Amino acid sequence: MTAGQPAALPPRSRLEERLRSLTLPRGITLWSILRVLAAAAATLLIFAILLQLLGSDFGTAFNAVTDSAFGNSFNFGQTLMMASILMCTGLAAAIPFRAQLWNVGGEGQMWFGAFVTIGIALNLPKGWPTALTIAVIVIGAMVAGAVWGLIPGIMKATVNANEVITSLMMTFIAIELGTWAIDGIWPQGASNETESVPVLMPNIWEGTLVTWGLPLAVIAVVVGWAIMNRTKLGFEIKAVGLNNRAAEMNGMSTAKVAIVTFALGGAFAGLAGSIFILGINSALPAGFQLNNFGYLGIAVALVARLNPVWIIPSAILFAGLRVGSDGLQASTGLSTTVGQILIGLFVILLLAFRLIRFSYPEAAR
Amino acid sequence: MSTSQTLFSLGIALMVPMLFAALGELIIEKSGVLNVGIEGVMLIGAFGAAVGVNYGDGSIWIGVLIAVGAGLVCGLILALLYVRLGTDQIVTGIMFNIVAFGLTTTLSAKYVHASESADFPKWNIPLVHDLPWVGNVLFEQDVLVYASVALAFGVFYLMRRTWFGLYARAASEFPRAAESAGLNVWRLRYVAVIVGCVLTAIGGAQLFANSGGFVAGYTNGRGFIALAIVVLARWNPLVVVLASLLFGVTQALQFEADRLGFLGDIPSHILMALPYILVLVAVVFARGSRYPAAVGIPFRPTRSST
Repeated sequence: MTAGQPAALPPRSRLEERLRSLTLPRGITLWSILRVLAAAAATLLIFAILLQLLGSDFGTAFNAVTDSAFGNSFNFGQTLMMASILMCTGLAAAIPFRAQLWNVGGEGQMWFGAFVTIGIALNLPKGWPTALTIAVIVIGAMVAGAVWGLIPGIMKATVNANEVITSLMMTFIAIELGTWAIDGIWPQGASNETESVPVLMPNIWEGTLVTWGLPLAVIAVVVGWAIMNRTKLGFEIKAVGLNNRAAEMNGMSTAKVAIVTFALGGAFAGLAGSIFILGINSALPAGFQLNNFGYLGIAVALVARLNPVWIIPSAILFAGLRVGSDGLQASTGLSTTVGQILIGLFVILLLAFRLIRFSYPEAAR
Repeated sequence: MSTSQTLFSLGIALMVPMLFAALGELIIEKSGVLNVGIEGVMLIGAFGAAVGVNYGDGSIWIGVLIAVGAGLVCGLILALLYVRLGTDQIVTGIMFNIVAFGLTTTLSAKYVHASESADFPKWNIPLVHDLPWVGNVLFEQDVLVYASVALAFGVFYLMRRTWFGLYARAASEFPRAAESAGLNVWRLRYVAVIVGCVLTAIGGAQLFANSGGFVAGYTNGRGFIALAIVVLARWNPLVVVLASLLFGVTQALQFEADRLGFLGDIPSHILMALPYILVLVAVVFARGSRYPAAVGIPFRPTRSST
């Protein structure tokens, strides 16, 4: 290398190779499979002990969960609908996380999406074709989610505000807004929820409650995958995540990546909100925050190793646990939030067994 | 008491949970760890206090004892994860919060559904509580209020005047150099995380005492507000008191709005969202505030040490 010349950049092909190695599940070896099994076994063991302490036993609980989540086509349909919510909130976490931007506000972005869904649905003129109405509402909810995500994103890009704090604060504001919708803006008489929306997504699987929400969520995953793996933007997101200083030196804008990933993540979370209202429940119920769908999306994304393709099985697994918890409540009287213990424990153990890891740029060490 | 006195008096009472949590978080961050699990620790502390009060003949001190024990366990688990296993601190913290939420909600539905409440004893400080206006506001509070402010001075002394504070600063800014100088970075971070979690859990106990009765998701973001308070106060324990007071008074507004005339017309949900909005605004003004360089980055010692 001659003196005075800038150091040569690594060939693009090598950088891409490194990026690819991060996209695919790295080295599925016997050892890594053993560790996953060990993490799963440890989770179940801790959970079994907990159930004993709560006066229930693991066998009964296991049957209740599997039966009510996967037992027949109707139950499996419920799991799939729950999974479509988690796929969207999973994307809301996975895309910013790839840039090492911690959008932990998917919950709030989803709430605001649900809020706007109800707002638009109740105020649209009657008589429009169903497809058009739904399209308008869904797009509105996605824009709303994007706006809710943009605020932390812009704050990160301009004043370098900690996005964990700002996105969490946006979540609590959105939940307050949703609660207001339930008891003040669009209350529904005696029952503790908002007015029901007049338009619903059509059913697509007879004998179940599976609606258009499921294909929409799958399309969202495909779009997320395409953005991450087939566009320049996806390349930039991954490069910033690997080493933001190096990315900046290669002419990428970390500010732009922060704003765009947060907006994208927010849009997917907003979609989750509209799928919940139009495709599952028709109204925003009090106690919706007990579900923690936005936070569970983070778990979904982590188990999928932030790879959109793996978000689908990961979401179905966790949705099964969520729906199964309803069955558990029916048979043992435990709260439905019991499934969240299981999900959180599993991800923590995956982290502890080093199956989910993040790289930190050398310079910062 | 006049309305403004009630507002500030209540604001001071509401400040305490966040103050304890923020001081705990400050110690943790100054050792080089970011504890996003603060919300979960606080929730478990509040739940521990609820259990202690309900099964301990309504004594708040048994509640505090259980909260401290729960905080200790949380601290051990989180220290193991953040420090020994070097997991990513942000995602570990968020997952810890999910587990804490699920656990406390499930357990409270089973064990403390008809919860008793208990208060900390009040202490009117002799002489000064007779002062006009400020006497009623400042010096007729829970004992824990005075304890929390005293603790802020204690933490200030600890971080600025003792070897612990000095070593902690080294461990949070440049752990590699601190290690070369003979410091056991891991051990220091263990101690900081455990102490910080215990303080956070005591904050949770005070939250329980403030309102009584345990409900799901009881902390409602107060732990996260404490995270922001530490940044706004630029890691200065005395400024943490002022920042916590600001948020305490902001939270008190929703209870006093009816008597404050001009606020009565504002929908209560906006007042309830006000603390979170205030955090966003404050974060913009605190733009120069910078985390210690090594916060959030797991440290691997060069040579094997416990």
